[in-house]
Amino acid sequence: MSAAGLERPQLVAPVQQSLNYTLFDCKWVPRSARILCLGSAARGTGVLQLYELRGGRLALLREIVKPKPIKCGTFGATSLQQRYLATGDFDGNLNIWNLEAPETPVYSVKGHKEIINSIDGVGGLGIGEGAPEIVTGSRDGTVKVWDPRQKDTPVANMEPVQGESKRDCWAVAFGNAYNQEERVVCAGYDNGDIKLFDLKAMSLRWETSIKNGVCSVEFDRKDISMNKLVATSLEGKFHVFDMRTQHPTKGFASVSEKVQKSTIWQVRHLPQNRDVFMTSGGAGSLHLWKYEYPAQRSKKDSEGAEMGVAGSVSLLQNVTLSTQPISSLDWSPDKKGLCVCGAFDQTVRVLIVTKLNKI
Amino acid sequence: MPLWLRDHSWRQSDSAVYLSLPVRGLRVTPANIFCTDRYLKVSIPPFLFEAFLYAPIDDTNSTAKIGNGIIFFTLYKKEVAMWDSLTVANANKEELQYLRQKAVLNAHEKAKVETEAKKVTKQQHIKYALEATMKLEEAERKRIEDLKEKELQKVTKELELWKKQQRDAEEQKRVQKEGEPRQEAEQLEKKKEKMSTTRIPNKGISKTRLQPPKGRDSSSMFSEDLKEEQLPAPRSAATIKINFTSRVFPTPLRESRVAEEEEWLRKQAEARRTASADVFDLEDLKEEEKNPDWLKDKGNKLFATGNYLGAVAAYNLALRLNNQLPLLYLNRAACHLQLRNFHKAIEDSSKALELLVPAVAANENARVKAHVRRGTAFCQLELYTEGLQDYEAALRIDGKNKTIEEDAEKIRRLIQGTMQDS
Repeated sequence: MSAAGLERPQLVAPVQQSLNYTLFDCKWVPRSARILCLGSAARGTGVLQLYELRGGRLALLREIVKPKPIKCGTFGATSLQQRYLATGDFDGNLNIWNLEAPETPVYSVKGHKEIINSIDGVGGLGIGEGAPEIVTGSRDGTVKVWDPRQKDTPVANMEPVQGESKRDCWAVAFGNAYNQEERVVCAGYDNGDIKLFDLKAMSLRWETSIKNGVCSVEFDRKDISMNKLVATSLEGKFHVFDMRTQHPTKGFASVSEKVQKSTIWQVRHLPQNRDVFMTSGGAGSLHLWKYEYPAQRSKKDSEGAEMGVAGSVSLLQNVTLSTQPISSLDWSPDKKGLCVCGAFDQTVRVLIVTKLNKI
Repeated sequence: MPLWLRDHSWRQSDSAVYLSLPVRGLRVTPANIFCTDRYLKVSIPPFLFEAFLYAPIDDTNSTAKIGNGIIFFTLYKKEVAMWDSLTVANANKEELQYLRQKAVLNAHEKAKVETEAKKVTKQQHIKYALEATMKLEEAERKRIEDLKEKELQKVTKELELWKKQQRDAEEQKRVQKEGEPRQEAEQLEKKKEKMSTTRIPNKGISKTRLQPPKGRDSSSMFSEDLKEEQLPAPRSAATIKINFTSRVFPTPLRESRVAEEEEWLRKQAEARRTASADVFDLEDLKEEEKNPDWLKDKGNKLFATGNYLGAVAAYNLALRLNNQLPLLYLNRAACHLQLRNFHKAIEDSSKALELLVPAVAANENARVKAHVRRGTAFCQLELYTEGLQDYEAALRIDGKNKTIEEDAEKIRRLIQGTMQDS
């Protein structure tokens, strides 16, 4: 390994923990050194486990069992004091739990007819402005936005027209929440559709279709005017869209990369640097990328309409941790470079990415 | 018979024998010289020189110098002694032969031993080289491992430090929280009293009360209250209707599978089209006109507008493409009824009924229609009994249809009327 190789960020995995259930999602509890693991036990019940990093190992603090397997969770819509967890389960129920008293949920609704594949929250944790909201995307083809203060009915419902055959929604993300009114939701579907919904205008703002099912979407920051959107898909591809300039017909400019043949399950941007993101792959690998902006972010086309210019993506580092897909990934908002990932080999690993200051 | 070389000369010392053998004009190579510890032979066909040495010599160290028409041998004796003569006393032929063979065998063995030794040394060399490379690689690997270890340790230390910080922060927060409810109640009271005053005095009070180690926390709690008041109301519920990029298959879209899927769809479309090969003059038809389903729809439209002949033409073409669709016969029968081609109507309804086998709930509708149409045709041809049979069959399938019942009644009365007449 050359000296130049050692100057790049290294992905070090000091801690790992073997679990006895299938792990679907893992999240850092904000303002703490604790992680939350969500999954499905072998007998078909849902499991929530709270671990704390202690001296090079993960120590189990709490285990909570729920009747239905849990697919995804987020802390995004809760305040820093409360730190309530919103989860989506295999039955289509959205629940918000107070982890101190997890017997009954703080909020519960049977939001969808089928499994909730993906969940995101905005307006909490001191990030962004506006009402706290949770968006869920489900296999029944609908994307619904919920406000924890309003029971039973969603505040926005994006569903297929009557008679249209449904496609699974696999990924949802909030963005553009830079003031109290503005908000967008981006949804990715299994037939390659990516749709951007404007919640202020309650309309479809943009849609496109990539050639593979969309596994994960994320804006680089939820609380700023839309800057970049990364969408990852099957067959090892991901696309980075420059969201600052929307052309009337061509939409947003994008650059795409192919990593390996396997699915890219997740993309997560580093909370401390919005141009660095990590993708996790179906071959058990993690790739750390950096986006470089072009010299000019927009240019005029032949008719004089503004068109975005996409930059380039470069690979900083990659590591293979497992033989099974790494399906979930989360950066710690408190310590730069600390992240947790969960793989289908029933292991949760805590990673540290070094030398991020030098990028 | 070889020519013996006999004009050799020799002298000796204690430890060596010096033999010189003239070989005028002959080209000598080392291959011509054969020497063992008791036998020396120089064979340059047809010339031959051999000597059964008096005593053993050290044949590995002995030398032969070839040059100037002379071979000069330096033979080192194994035992230090003076030789009476160069060769042994003349033994008989057999003995000589035996000695010769022994010499050859000796030489062979020596050669074998030598090759063995060479092999062994070669292997040792290879092994040594391998070990050396392995050691080098090991060293390199270890170096990298060490670097990684160091990183790991550094990182774990940082982690511990950070964790400690977090824990301290949590501790303080907990302390705060315990003091908080009391402070909050007091604050609220104060707020109520000084409703119109500015926030600054309040903030000052809160700061002294709470004594927070981090001013940040108190202000955040305060701003949290503010935020509570300023959170917008939940959005008014709305729905956005969306369309999806169409996809025939329920599986997710994968680029690598697209080619296969297209192939499959194309084959399905082909299969739905014409099976018969002898459909001539179809080349000048448009793409849609070769599709029986499209033609059926066309025929239906023409029937609806009253263009019965056009409808029949459409159904005819459709039938040429695919003569196994019962609906085509059924509809054509209806056209023929309108055109008063009753025989053709009967034919077509019969054909339709043949194709509408097995008799299941799915094709009930079609079968009822077929029977009714055939029945009507029979009656128009005044074959009332056959007509009645069809109507009754229709009633058996669908007993709830009033019109069919009434028509059946009418026919019965007609029949009874004619029977009474005749």
